[in-house]
Amino acid sequence: MFLAALLPSANTAVSPDATLVRRLLQQDVSAFEQLYDRHSRAVYGLILRILQQAGTAEAVVQDVFLQLWRNAEHYDESRGPFLPWLLTLARNRALDTLRLKSERQRRREDQTEELPPVVTAPEFEKQLDEKRRAEKVRALIGALQPQQKRAIELAYFEGLSHSEIAEKMREPLGTVKSWIRNGLLRLKEELQATA
Amino acid sequence: MKNCDQFREMFEGYALGALDAGERAALDAHLAAGCKDCAKAVEEARWLVSQLAYLAPESTPSDMLKGRLMQTVRAEALAAQSAKKFKPMVPAWLWAGVAALLLFSLYSAWNMQRLVREVQSANERAAALIRERLDLEAQRAAAEREATILIDPASVKIPLTSSDPLTPKLEATWHAKLGIVLTGQKVPAPSRNRVLQLWLIPKAPGGKPIPSLTVRPDADGKFTLLVANPPDLMEGTAALAITEEPPGGSPQPTTTPRWVGGLT
Repeated sequence: MFLAALLPSANTAVSPDATLVRRLLQQDVSAFEQLYDRHSRAVYGLILRILQQAGTAEAVVQDVFLQLWRNAEHYDESRGPFLPWLLTLARNRALDTLRLKSERQRRREDQTEELPPVVTAPEFEKQLDEKRRAEKVRALIGALQPQQKRAIELAYFEGLSHSEIAEKMREPLGTVKSWIRNGLLRLKEELQATA
Repeated sequence: MKNCDQFREMFEGYALGALDAGERAALDAHLAAGCKDCAKAVEEARWLVSQLAYLAPESTPSDMLKGRLMQTVRAEALAAQSAKKFKPMVPAWLWAGVAALLLFSLYSAWNMQRLVREVQSANERAAALIRERLDLEAQRAAAEREATILIDPASVKIPLTSSDPLTPKLEATWHAKLGIVLTGQKVPAPSRNRVLQLWLIPKAPGGKPIPSLTVRPDADGKFTLLVANPPDLMEGTAALAITEEPPGGSPQPTTTPRWVGGLT
């Protein structure tokens, strides 16, 4: 069972990101710069993909990294890797910005925390480095049926609900729910199998 | 848990934020009730969703963005270090204590001054009341003495007349023990800056007039003069006379008497 893989890490080595985040707690400017250099491309890429506007995207990137600098203690390295947490924070901030211009604001108002929780990574996840994981995710989602991939992207990058996606794609609500759920479950299985 | 089946297909949508309000509220309530299995499933779905970030192609932000960020971060780090260095030198609690002591001292000094001013003011009010009461008692005593002199059968009435027949008469009432009361009605006002002074004219030949009190009639020409302690010379006094004198009176007459009255 996949949940069985959610075990405490046997690997006690501290990741470079976790070490840098610890140094942030001591107001280490150099550590902040290293974290920025390591992850600003991924963060900016995600935010730009959501907002589609470079100037606004840079403002949100700045907000995300200042949140990291000022609230580094919110990241718990024992619960999961740093980058997914940072990217979740970036997505939430970008969708917040998107919602300011959208009627969807009220619907999602209480869904996004100020800072996201750190999610526990499954054991197999730790065996994939960032680059390999990114390639794997892109390949797996890219291999889905175009409509299934489109539904997942609308949910993830535009923050649309199942109902809104169904309306936009002119497909039955149940179909959209199945596409999204089955697509994610397939991603999970493939990542697990690869590890 | 029994109810978990109805949520089993919602975890991915929940992690994406794609559930409709009703579905989300139901799952929130279920998680808040403490279902550990569903909480684990949601956490797993969140991790899966976080992997979707890799679908976005990486892109390089401008150098200016990094410059702005580093500038802000360096400034905040410097401020935090300065605050840390300053902290052990003068702890905040000490500042707070000193400030509280200073405020208390200022308040005490101000309060003391206020109390002193209030006590002084109260003393002044009490002194004024005492003076007023003494004045009233003196006026009452004088009025009683005047009344007694005027009605006592032992008093001697002495009319004082003027050489001018148009000038009204004055009347003096002399009680051997209580004094003299001199009254006048419609008396012409004395010359400017002048007052009327009473004189006791001795019987003894060559005796000098004895000066007594002065008075100035009011606007209606009315006055009452009480000489509470005249020299005990009723037997040796031949007459009373009134002259005009400078304010405060004179040791001897400087003008011709305007009124004179002899004792019989």
